[in-house]
Amino acid sequence: MPTQTLFTQFLNQHFGAFTTSLLQAVHVHPKYPAYPITDSFAMELLVFLVLIAYFILVRMTLSVEKPAGAQHLAEMTHEFVSEQGEQIIGHGSERFTSYLTSLGLFILLANLMGIIPGLKSPTAYAVVPLGFALVTFIYYHYHGIRENGWAYIKQFLGPVWWLYPLLLPIEIISHLARVLSLTVRLYANMFAGDLVTIAFFSLVPVGIPLIFLGLHLGVAVVQAYVFFLLAAIYLSLATAHDH
Amino acid sequence: MKKLQYLFMSLAALLFATPAFAQSTAAASPGAQWVPLAAGLGMALAAGLCGLGQGKATASATEALARNPGARPGIFIFLILGLAFIESLALFTFVIIFLKVQ
Repeated sequence: MPTQTLFTQFLNQHFGAFTTSLLQAVHVHPKYPAYPITDSFAMELLVFLVLIAYFILVRMTLSVEKPAGAQHLAEMTHEFVSEQGEQIIGHGSERFTSYLTSLGLFILLANLMGIIPGLKSPTAYAVVPLGFALVTFIYYHYHGIRENGWAYIKQFLGPVWWLYPLLLPIEIISHLARVLSLTVRLYANMFAGDLVTIAFFSLVPVGIPLIFLGLHLGVAVVQAYVFFLLAAIYLSLATAHDH
Repeated sequence: MKKLQYLFMSLAALLFATPAFAQSTAAASPGAQWVPLAAGLGMALAAGLCGLGQGKATASATEALARNPGARPGIFIFLILGLAFIESLALFTFVIIFLKVQ
């Protein structure tokens, strides 16, 4: 049996058999058939539930006269995201605010979860950042095509026609490398943060690891911001008109 | 001349040190003894050069901020972006080491 957090064990006890049969219906064989739900999935589900609960709470307590604490927080988040979007994407950034807000909040919460004892960061497993990166990749290409139509292909080509065959593969590789770099940046930062804390805990078990936990807190916030910022920049590049 | 002497002395010490390492890992594949050394050296190179790059970027950003405090938001975005990109190079090294060293 793999070591799992309490929440994952709870999920496996109640939904384990069902998940295994579901996975085997699509010919996927989990490593431990009795415990098919991994920590990363359970923690992601937890983040999802917390965020949904938060959004519902904000929606229920919306009021013009007496804004509650949750509403203040939501307004601050919205203001921050739309300000950044306006600054980076410029005109027409309102369309992307919802995606950027949910992406940023999800990653922030997922990163900060590793600090709480008994929980783990889902972003410390490579598959979770890969999911974020792939969704961002599809999303900005979709909006690039929607905004520019067939002219979107011009972004992949050079300024003159005889450069086209040279630049097309380079651009395609560089767009795919964005997925890699987004994934590895988030994953390695979160993973290395946990690892550093554990390594210093094995050297000095009292006091010193706390410094690295504080550092990890800072890194978690900055990496969530960086992921959000890069998604916004890729969106702005994809939806730019004159190229 | 003195420096050369030190260099050769340290090199000689290193050369004599190798048989001592070799005896303990006779069962492992040849060259496995060098893996921790290579991992440490690789990570140290990556971290050091990444530190140099980040230091340069931060120095320019603070200088620019001192000259023109009004440009704070723009500089901040580019600083964070640059630091993230520089840092990801060191992290690539970390991931490769993690994949290769078992």
